[in-house]
Amino acid sequence: MAAAQNVMEAEAEKPVAPVAPTVDLGQVNLPPAQTWNRLRANGIDLTVPQLSRKGDVYFALPRLFDRVECGMGQAVTDWVTSQAADSTYVEVKAHTRRTEPIVVAIDADAGQVADAGVMVRTGAEATIVVAVRGGAEAATTSGALVRVIAEAGSHVRLVEVVGVGAAQQHLESVGIDADDDAVVEVSQYLLGGGTVADGLAVNLAGDRARLDLTTHYYAGGHDRLDINHVARQRGHSTRAQIRESGVLDGAAEKSLRATIDLVHGSDGSVGNEAETVLVTGDDVVNKTMPVILCDEENVQGNHGATIGSASPEQLDYLCDRGLSRREAEELFVRAIFEHAIINAPTAEAHAVAVAQAERVLGTEVAHDFDDAAALVDGEASLDTEASLDPSCPEEE
Amino acid sequence: MADDKTLTPGGAPSGSEPLTPEERKRAQVQDVDRSLYDFVKSEEGYERYEDGLTPEIVRSISARKDEPDWMLQMRLDALDEYHRRPMATNWGPSIAGLDLDHISTYVSPKTKQARDWNDVPKDIKDTFDRLGIPQAERESLAGVGAQYDSEIVYHNMREEVAKQGVVYTTIEDALHDPQWEPVVHQYFGHLIPMTDHKFAALHYAVWSGGSFVYVPEGVTLDYPLQSYFRLNAAGAGQFEHTLIIVEPGADLHFIEGCSAPKYYEANLHAGAVELFVKDHARLRYSTIENWSKNMYNLNTKRATVGADAKMEWVSGSFGSHVSYLYPTTILAGDRGSCEFTGITFSGATQDLDTGCKVIMNGADTTASVQTKSISKDGGINTFRSSVVVGRHADRARCSVSCQSLMLDDISRSDTIPAMDVRNPTAQVGHEATIGRISDDTILYLMSRGCSEAEARTLVVNGFANPVSKELPMEYAVEMNNLIKLEMEGAIG
Repeated sequence: MAAAQNVMEAEAEKPVAPVAPTVDLGQVNLPPAQTWNRLRANGIDLTVPQLSRKGDVYFALPRLFDRVECGMGQAVTDWVTSQAADSTYVEVKAHTRRTEPIVVAIDADAGQVADAGVMVRTGAEATIVVAVRGGAEAATTSGALVRVIAEAGSHVRLVEVVGVGAAQQHLESVGIDADDDAVVEVSQYLLGGGTVADGLAVNLAGDRARLDLTTHYYAGGHDRLDINHVARQRGHSTRAQIRESGVLDGAAEKSLRATIDLVHGSDGSVGNEAETVLVTGDDVVNKTMPVILCDEENVQGNHGATIGSASPEQLDYLCDRGLSRREAEELFVRAIFEHAIINAPTAEAHAVAVAQAERVLGTEVAHDFDDAAALVDGEASLDTEASLDPSCPEEE
Repeated sequence: MADDKTLTPGGAPSGSEPLTPEERKRAQVQDVDRSLYDFVKSEEGYERYEDGLTPEIVRSISARKDEPDWMLQMRLDALDEYHRRPMATNWGPSIAGLDLDHISTYVSPKTKQARDWNDVPKDIKDTFDRLGIPQAERESLAGVGAQYDSEIVYHNMREEVAKQGVVYTTIEDALHDPQWEPVVHQYFGHLIPMTDHKFAALHYAVWSGGSFVYVPEGVTLDYPLQSYFRLNAAGAGQFEHTLIIVEPGADLHFIEGCSAPKYYEANLHAGAVELFVKDHARLRYSTIENWSKNMYNLNTKRATVGADAKMEWVSGSFGSHVSYLYPTTILAGDRGSCEFTGITFSGATQDLDTGCKVIMNGADTTASVQTKSISKDGGINTFRSSVVVGRHADRARCSVSCQSLMLDDISRSDTIPAMDVRNPTAQVGHEATIGRISDDTILYLMSRGCSEAEARTLVVNGFANPVSKELPMEYAVEMNNLIKLEMEGAIG
């Protein structure tokens, strides 16, 4: 009894760790059109570290970027802009091709928050890479706010690779404005983590502007993944192609909201969206909300979603070749990570994909992917050199 | 089968007997105008409660019906719930034009319920004659209930059906029958709790009229039962409650129709439909809704389906100013199934938010949802659905298909489905398309002699065909007539 009392006294004397102030953002990552609240599919409730202190000075992007709608909504934009110590502005000159990717690298273990704005001038080309790497056991919150203005005839490639630890939370909010004939290609690899919330809004404001969005995701364990994609089609004859696919394992919870918004005046536009989900975990919660909003007559909007497990025929085929059910299902997971590693355009993105593959699939498998990527890189670099367009000068 | 001169609501007649003017009106689409549904009868001599919603009004309704204490208490609890519960503000059409302080929740013609149309007051009988109800009853129905404003004015069922043990009566009469009062007590408000949403609470506070149907085990009805709801009074609400119990192995087709004349003040429909489909039973519930365009249609429908049982919904929504309508099916038993086939036509001044919900809890359950919507003249259509697959719904299968047609560039069509899947062996598929009638199709039909208007109507009818073919012939004709009605003046 006396010993127990001593322990209690000792604990009482321990210094109490200061509790970091937090702020409740409420429901964020909301789609333009919502549905029944009892489904709990409209958004995600997030609590994040407290906003900046009064008296601190933060450096914001040019006001021009305020008009860009971001996928996670204004509350997240406000939070990031007040948390990021500085903002990064990059401009790609008209009619140039920037060969060096613009990299937004986030160290989730350190709870980094980044605010980046990219102006891609008329006829220019640029690649933007967002690489979010975590994995530490500490509970941290990181964030990336990326706003892009793609002027007429420009070509923007955005690659996002996100992999954080089971106790970590990452907010990724992206907004892109596309003018006439601008082409926006987005490849997302959301490779797991405690809570990953991703919002992407693309405003196809110009005539014939295009969006090609591909999302690959994996969530396992008790991961929470919340995705909100919005394609606003405002210009004439715009095109939006959205493809999402992923694997959910363990007790993962995933919500995906994808909205094609055919705004009045988007005459001749076409929007397509399709999601394929493979569910391998017994306790998975998978929510999908594919939305088409149509305020114009001469348009086409299509969406489809397929949710389920590997078919018995597929599994039988693989099992006949000596694989157990689990091994067969793991093939689908491996495919996602392999795709991410092979297509990572920079060392930072590559490192995120490999680190997350190690965490989910083990070191040996991750290194196999690495070797395969090295081979592909060799071939790809030869292809790239051969296909360089001499008519488009490279930016210094 | 019906004889040669078949004619029910809106149906096309044939045969040698001369047609009455009303029959001709229903049969010849070119001649049909809104006056078929848009006629008003005087309310003189009717009992009308003051506008608004108070405990006194609720107590008066209950006292008038001489209800058991539990029902009065349920009404009062529901009234509290109504006042307590907020309306969601982040989704759905605006109901800002609806003010309960300007709605009378109870209006009743001073007549007793009749079993013979000749005993129904002349102006009310005339109303249902014009809608074709008595003739439909004679020719193709097993029983009819007709509600006028807040009360059932006519209820009857074929004798041979009654001999099978089928009960088709009003909730009020069932409450006064010692055999059925405990059954109503057991099932009433069980599927749709008063806490479901604000207007479910309102419904339970002021419900009046509706139907109670009980189909005994193993009984199959060869003809449908039909309830028709007519709201004649301006600035009034209709709050009927339909409770149907289909015992194991039984089979029923129930048809619900509704209409109202147009006013320039808001009317409200907040009915509730609770359907219990027991093991191995089947229920088809067909609705042709043609409320007037000043109506706020905030109706709630829900079915629970047992093992190896089947629920079929066929739904045509044409009227209302604002609709919130999502029939819900709970597949509770293993191998239960559900089919939902619906069409919504939204024209000028209409904002119709319709769809369905499916909750799959049993193993090996299946669900199929097929919907169509048509928007024109500035009408707004929203298809809203949810499919929830529970943890124990092993091998559940669900497919949802939604097609929307835009007929001009001032209308709007939105598709907002949601899926929540919690079983790894389930398969859920969803597809939706929104588009217009192609110019090539119109040109092709015009080259074959159709006018542009005829060509468009032809295409729209073809688009709606998968729904209309699910209806009894007479109602399919009525639906096609309604489409043609809506399409009149769609060109130019």
